[in-house]
Amino acid sequence: MKLGSDRSTNLAGYFLLLFLFGSTGCHSYMLDDAQFELRDSMTSMNYDESRELLNELESKNIYRKKDQVLWNLENGMIYHFTGDYDSSTVFFSEAENEIDEAYTKSVSRGVVSLFSNDNKLAYDGEPYEDIYLNAFKALNFIHQGDWDGALVETRRMSYKMENLDIRIKGLADAFARQDTNNLADWTPGKLNVQNSAMSHYLATILYAKSGDVDDSRIEFMKLQTALNEQAEAFGYPSIDTRSLQYLQNPNAYNLLITGFTGQAPIKVQEDVRFFDETTLNRYVKLSFPRIELYPTEVYRVHVLINDKEPLSLKLIEEMDRVAKSVYEAKKPVIYARTLARALVKATGTGLIKKATEDESRALRTAVSVLSFLYKETSEKADLRGWQTMPGQAWMEVVKLQPGVHTIRLEYLNDYDQIMYFEEFEVVIDDRTELELIESMYPR
Amino acid sequence: MKRTVYSLLVVIMALAACRPSNKITRMDPGTTTDLSGRWNDTDARLVSEEMIGDALTHPWLNQFSRENQKPPTVIVGTVRNESMEHIDTEVITKEMERAFVNSGSVNLVASAAEREEIRAERLDQQEYASFETTKKMAQELGADFMLIGNINSIVDESADSRTLAVFYTVNLELINVETNQKVWIGNKKIKKLVERRNYRG
Repeated sequence: MKLGSDRSTNLAGYFLLLFLFGSTGCHSYMLDDAQFELRDSMTSMNYDESRELLNELESKNIYRKKDQVLWNLENGMIYHFTGDYDSSTVFFSEAENEIDEAYTKSVSRGVVSLFSNDNKLAYDGEPYEDIYLNAFKALNFIHQGDWDGALVETRRMSYKMENLDIRIKGLADAFARQDTNNLADWTPGKLNVQNSAMSHYLATILYAKSGDVDDSRIEFMKLQTALNEQAEAFGYPSIDTRSLQYLQNPNAYNLLITGFTGQAPIKVQEDVRFFDETTLNRYVKLSFPRIELYPTEVYRVHVLINDKEPLSLKLIEEMDRVAKSVYEAKKPVIYARTLARALVKATGTGLIKKATEDESRALRTAVSVLSFLYKETSEKADLRGWQTMPGQAWMEVVKLQPGVHTIRLEYLNDYDQIMYFEEFEVVIDDRTELELIESMYPR
Repeated sequence: MKRTVYSLLVVIMALAACRPSNKITRMDPGTTTDLSGRWNDTDARLVSEEMIGDALTHPWLNQFSRENQKPPTVIVGTVRNESMEHIDTEVITKEMERAFVNSGSVNLVASAAEREEIRAERLDQQEYASFETTKKMAQELGADFMLIGNINSIVDESADSRTLAVFYTVNLELINVETNQKVWIGNKKIKKLVERRNYRG
């Protein structure tokens, strides 16, 4: 059958194409709600309950195969904070492999990925998610006393950070090649952060403890660069990194205290509507995912060792701000893709309207209303993201004498009021090289 | 109607045929199986084979045996994984231990972790074993040489992540415990090019 010879066939064809390219099932809305639910559950700090919720969401088919990366990231984090480090590592490793595969697919899938609704595609993880999962894997290995394993993870973090701009550019280039009609500008944004202070902090102490003086020194220099880079990118006063020299001395500490606060940044939908009077009188709706920081109540984290004078943990990495900064570099690519897809949809509905020009007024009105409704409902930003990731990482190392010690972590607000505290008992003996205690206050 | 039923049957049969199933085949451990491009058993085997051959044919062995009128005692220490992958270096060290023992020209003593367990057992015997069977304390054989090493990797990836070059270098060193003299250094390099062509798009 020759296309265009039969008007009704033509019309059906256009609708089918539009459906294939742009339809959004109600599943993506259900997943958005589920993500909120999971975030709330983490805030209550009942991690067993969060794990049950996640299982329930999977059994209801809300986390589907295409959302497997998210499912693994959330599980990895929940298992990490329940102290099941083996399971956590397995989930994070799965997520890491899937992100790697999904990235390769998304740059090699061709024109389909350019015009498909993001929500229908397999979630390929944000670059910052791919980086921070290694941080928690590293902590899993430290908890298990496997420093070599932890160092593998810090190396992977550094490698990913250093290659971030290449990766984002690779994605942009792939889409630009597919956009043969030059519908959008595919230039990625500028990347302000290319080092993770957290990875270099951990690597400095792990190399020092392993007796690799030179590697520890190199990692310390990178830590200094990362802290200065973050200060510059986020407008902090410069940090006196010389005061952290002791990190290179393995005899200066035997306990690493880590406190995580806040939550991952959240993606929200931003809608833009305009009417393009050229050619087909197109009505265009764009739905962009915008990333917003999730506010934290915590301004300081104090540690009291055996009820003595408190010392402050150092804010080593604002993971949420780094995440936002990395996302901003990728944002032009996401926006360009949204624009290209919206233009194709608008052209499609324009063609349908044109095909019904000679039809009855009732049909023309129906098509017009349907086109409008279709564009309104089918355009939905992809708001998927790792919900259980913390927002900030605070760290400090201390030297304890052999014996049993009580460590109390206090999370303070701007008025120095204690918002939350957690106590640990740590046993140190002559052979203790590095103990790790980890706490979390996700508010 | 008949045609519709037949067509449906064909579709159902085709779908049934597409159901995934697990197939397991036993194979020769010497077979090369490169599936992911990551470090695997073939790499460990290649390293061990080359290193063992090299270590046992170098002059340090004969020289020591000649000078001391006894075979050297070796302890296998740690081979550190300094790569970006989780590599079980024990596969290499155990292969080295096996080769040393089977060569008959080297005495091998237990590693640090193994020693802990044996010492605990010996201590236990002092209290609970019969006098005739109790093993004596402080009779351990001191090692003359220690084998240590590391594995490093360099990764180079194309922007679209479809081509990956991984360069591994494995260094093993045999060090005289008394003098710190390095009597043998072995090095094995492995370079892999991973082309991910089979991604379903």
